[in-house]
Amino acid sequence: MKNIVIGRFIPGNSFLYKMDPRTKIIALIILMISAFVLRGFMNMFIALGLILLLLLLGRINIIRVIRGLKPLMFLLLFTFTFQILFNETGPVLIVFEQEASWTLHYSWLNILAVVGVVFFWFFTRRFVRFRLLYLVATLVGSIALLINLQLGYVFNTGDLTIHQNAVETGFFIMMRLIIIVTLSTILTLTTKPTDLNLGLESVLKPLKYIRINTEEMAMIIAIALRYIPTLLDEANKIMLAQASRGVDFSEGKMKDKVMQIVSLLVPMFIISFKRSDELANAMEARCFVPGNPRTRLHQLAWTYADTITIIISLMALASVITLRVVGINV
Amino acid sequence: MNIIEIENLSFYYQADKPVLKDINLTIKKGEWLTILGHNGSGKSTLAKLLIGLLRAKSGTIRIDNEELNQNTVQSIRRKIGIVFQNPDNQFVGVTVRDDIAFGLENLSIPREEMIERIETYAQKVSMSEFLNKEPHALSGGQKQRVAIAGILAMHTDIIIFDESTSMLDPKGRRMILDYMKTLNDEGVTIITITHDMKEAVLSDRILVLKNGEVLKMDTAANVLKDKITLEKSNLELLLPLKVINRLEEKNIKNEELRSYLWQLSLTG
Repeated sequence: MKNIVIGRFIPGNSFLYKMDPRTKIIALIILMISAFVLRGFMNMFIALGLILLLLLLGRINIIRVIRGLKPLMFLLLFTFTFQILFNETGPVLIVFEQEASWTLHYSWLNILAVVGVVFFWFFTRRFVRFRLLYLVATLVGSIALLINLQLGYVFNTGDLTIHQNAVETGFFIMMRLIIIVTLSTILTLTTKPTDLNLGLESVLKPLKYIRINTEEMAMIIAIALRYIPTLLDEANKIMLAQASRGVDFSEGKMKDKVMQIVSLLVPMFIISFKRSDELANAMEARCFVPGNPRTRLHQLAWTYADTITIIISLMALASVITLRVVGINV
Repeated sequence: MNIIEIENLSFYYQADKPVLKDINLTIKKGEWLTILGHNGSGKSTLAKLLIGLLRAKSGTIRIDNEELNQNTVQSIRRKIGIVFQNPDNQFVGVTVRDDIAFGLENLSIPREEMIERIETYAQKVSMSEFLNKEPHALSGGQKQRVAIAGILAMHTDIIIFDESTSMLDPKGRRMILDYMKTLNDEGVTIITITHDMKEAVLSDRILVLKNGEVLKMDTAANVLKDKITLEKSNLELLLPLKVINRLEEKNIKNEELRSYLWQLSLTG
């Protein structure tokens, strides 16, 4: 259990790595706001192109970024489908007329049932042998439900009309989510967790006016980061100890698995409490008093490059707002 | 000059089960005292009382002529440091450098001086080339050395070693013992808590605790050969002393061998 990588930081060397974590966080926030203001297909693609350029210049592995987007797929498809089905503004693009025997009944309860089925599929798919077949079965089942169920008020039957705004808004939401997730992936890939912590502490400092002590929170996160490898080591030891007594962590039914996890969790909890007690003693013995002023060994240095980065991101925000106000939403 | 004065110190979690009873103890500046005792004899509790992690039920502790109470605990903690048993559970920083810095940050030492002190004391415990290493890349002995550096950097006069070598391999233990010796020679007052006789023999005086009471308090040499006291507190004689005892039992008289064995036991 040596050399555990915490977070998603990948060591590298480019201007993105050298940047002050505060700059990256602030720039990320500004660019996120810009992404929300942005409209128009052309503008979206330009933004995506710029991000791609950033990835290339920052020498970031694009495959890793795409892998980071993967868990988002479900959410993206879901929001897009929702828009297509329910957004009824703007000119009509296409109309799918349905035969009488195949009428789909859209009512809130029906949709809830389908969502339930989809969720069931989502959480149980890993336990099923033929996953593709299971997916197809779920889809067919959902459509069958919509055809046969008529729960509650049916506000739309059969005909599916796709409106222009539905396609646009759905697409924009998808693009915005992709842009935001990509940007934050850049942050986490290029910033060490400890630096990220330091940066967050510094950026969130104004929160002290509403009596939130960011220094303490940062200390808690720093200690958590410090103890993750140690606790993983401990978990590994316990698993081996339990395995030597006949607990098999890889096989068995759902119920057995829960019991096995309990046999891991209970000792983990006890050990963690004991550790934290000793750690608290060690910290206090070295004059740590929560809330007292401390000097810091790690101090962030703001450079020219950081100012320029912030100015560039502010310019991006300004231009996006201008585009919106002027009405260039191509 | 007495740097630590303990008078009638008592402590308990439940009133009917005292952990420490009427401890009286003075420690001179620059002295090396060992507190010996079996598990549950109250030796670690005594250490925690000294550094103000627990509060005494009665009695007083004076450290450097300052009485330990709620108001003085912070200033007293600047004078007294403690190295605990488990090397993992006292490593606060993400790296060696951060860990040595932790105490200094708490004392609000300016950054430039902090960097200077980190370099100096890392060098002192031979951890200079490990400054950027993370704790899981270090051995137990190295982690304990970092803990020592962290305390030394705070310029403490007294260091308590609370079974600090019990989780280390022989090499790591040897090294920590050597550091204790060096520090003591440089004038640092040292209190070691242990049940290892080899460690105890290096010190000036030994305090033997049993069930929270002082069983014996004498020079290291006198305690080591006191078979009865050691037996009472479940401690074992050092091997050369055992040999001397056996020789006496068998009526084998060889003065030269005897004195050699005695010397051997005193050097640990």
